[in-house]
Amino acid sequence: MVKMSLDAIQVMSGQVKELKVSPSSNGDTRGSWEGKEEFDPNQLELTAKPKPVTGRRARKVEGAVFFPKPENAVTVAVSSRVLFRTEREQKVFEQKGVEEYLRYQIEHENEPFAPGPAFPFVKALDAVNTRLRELYPQSEELFDIVLVTYNHAHVGIRLINTINHHNLFIERFCMTGGSSPIGYLKAWHTNLYLSADAEKVREALAEGIAAATMFMPEKLTEVSESQLRVAFDGDAVLFSDESERIFKTHGLDKFFEHEKENEDRLLDHGPLKGFLEALGKLQKKFYAKGQRLDCPIRTYLVTARSAASSGIRALKTLRAWGLEIDEALFLAGAPKGPMLEKIRPHIYFDDQMFHVEGAAEMGTVAAHVPYGIAQKYNSQQKMSSGK
Amino acid sequence: MVSTVTNSDVKQKDVDQAVVVAVTFAAVFGPEAEDGSTVYRLGVALPLLQVLQRVNERLLEKNPAEHQLFDVILITTDSWQQQQNSSIINSTRHHGLEISRFCFSTEDNYIESLVQNNVQLFFTTDGNEALQATHQGVPSALLDKNSVSCPSEQLRVLFCEKAIIQPNMGSTEASKKSAQNFLAHLGQMRQKFGVFDSPLCFTLVTSHGGKDSCCCALKSLRSLGVSVDEAYCLGGAPRGPILSLLRPHFLLSDGFSLLEG
Repeated sequence: MVKMSLDAIQVMSGQVKELKVSPSSNGDTRGSWEGKEEFDPNQLELTAKPKPVTGRRARKVEGAVFFPKPENAVTVAVSSRVLFRTEREQKVFEQKGVEEYLRYQIEHENEPFAPGPAFPFVKALDAVNTRLRELYPQSEELFDIVLVTYNHAHVGIRLINTINHHNLFIERFCMTGGSSPIGYLKAWHTNLYLSADAEKVREALAEGIAAATMFMPEKLTEVSESQLRVAFDGDAVLFSDESERIFKTHGLDKFFEHEKENEDRLLDHGPLKGFLEALGKLQKKFYAKGQRLDCPIRTYLVTARSAASSGIRALKTLRAWGLEIDEALFLAGAPKGPMLEKIRPHIYFDDQMFHVEGAAEMGTVAAHVPYGIAQKYNSQQKMSSGK
Repeated sequence: MVSTVTNSDVKQKDVDQAVVVAVTFAAVFGPEAEDGSTVYRLGVALPLLQVLQRVNERLLEKNPAEHQLFDVILITTDSWQQQQNSSIINSTRHHGLEISRFCFSTEDNYIESLVQNNVQLFFTTDGNEALQATHQGVPSALLDKNSVSCPSEQLRVLFCEKAIIQPNMGSTEASKKSAQNFLAHLGQMRQKFGVFDSPLCFTLVTSHGGKDSCCCALKSLRSLGVSVDEAYCLGGAPRGPILSLLRPHFLLSDGFSLLEG
């Protein structure tokens, strides 16, 4: 029986020996800049008025505001319920119905909402954009934040007032009045979708869009305002759930055996791989300008795998994908909460509610990726979503 | 000389309270049948006609004494069409279209006809006709092959900026006033239904300008009595993909403001 070390081992990527690995298909790379099909608006323009002469310009500047083309930017779509705190309004909706809910919203139109779990994350994206603009003033390779909500446009004015109140740079939004936003997410080349509703997140994942459900932790530890930190679980988040399947059905020993046997076979990709890739591409832009040490984006792998054994396969896979992750933490089964509390990521993605809850207990904003075999085994424990 | 003929198959609407919309011959009927039959096939306006009828049905369900209904008239815009009057009437009755009146006018007097009939919205497949009518104070909307794929259960109206960025293209004081009038009617019709399961749906799409421009439009429409259901602020992103998802029956860009001042 393998003795598991309870000390977390930190491994900096680049220390793993480069060995020959067999190639495997890794699915599409949603974060790639080139090759995204340019959509011809003239094909589907519904107005039959004479076509605009200008067509689509490479850059659009309105005053001091700058709107990147969706396929060039890293588009992050957030719902109103995770960007802001809307518990009170939710209660009105649940107890008194939609008409009363909308009336309440309009009545309180000039009262801005308080920040929600995704707020620090969005602020950090803004900070990165500021740094990117300093270095590459003409580039459209930025974060583009889109507010995507099922809300009725009646709530629109209150949301816009709130965005202005908090000085958020969000110039694109989508209020679908109840219908599914999936079509719009795709039209906007969305790289990541954050919502409070697991059903909608599942729908997005099924369409190949990286998505996660966010919850409001009871306490929020302070996070950096100048460096964006994103942490990922490995299996069923960055990687597919193939190994997790083995673990769940055959146990830990079989898992280790399987990983050892397949050490040189790359893992298949998971739903968040594309987003990590997109972050990596932005990071390289800072490295190119000699800002590696001062990079405002930092990524973390926080996995239950062990460094000495099952972790190797994870690292080799990342290496083969050309993805650099800044810090890889192999916990060998130890609880993730304390480690995350040290890292202080703006967001942590995990496929298991158990870990999401554990992280939240210690003040980390954790997002659940409802993907893979773990969903069948998820704890019945209900997540306390904000008090 | 314009002649107006009533369609006896259709119950006439209250002249004062109905919202009159006119649809051109070329929109209602498709290209002429080659076998020379006197019954025309239906054109791109079919889903629109069906959905206007649907809205009327739902309004009457709510209130059998309702008078604020859509009143659809068919209008010809050239002398050749004007001469096909009997075929037009036959075809309309054959297809059971809820068209209450026919205005047989020519290219010289169709606009006059629109004004005389108190038309609040003029549907055509011809861009020039739309421009001219708007200049004379009659709000207009264009129909094309995309109109065919619009839903027939819910009237989807899209508010947006004009496609061409030219100030006041086709917009006059008169047309602005008429547009506002029409919008007020639409708003009132919408109010009769709840948030869900409404046969009318209003969508705002702002392509240029940011959230503040969109906010301004929302407030402007609200002041006219129009509560928008869906809003999309594109911030410069192309409109095409969004429009193909929204499938509006027609676009309106007059009568409300998008920018401050």
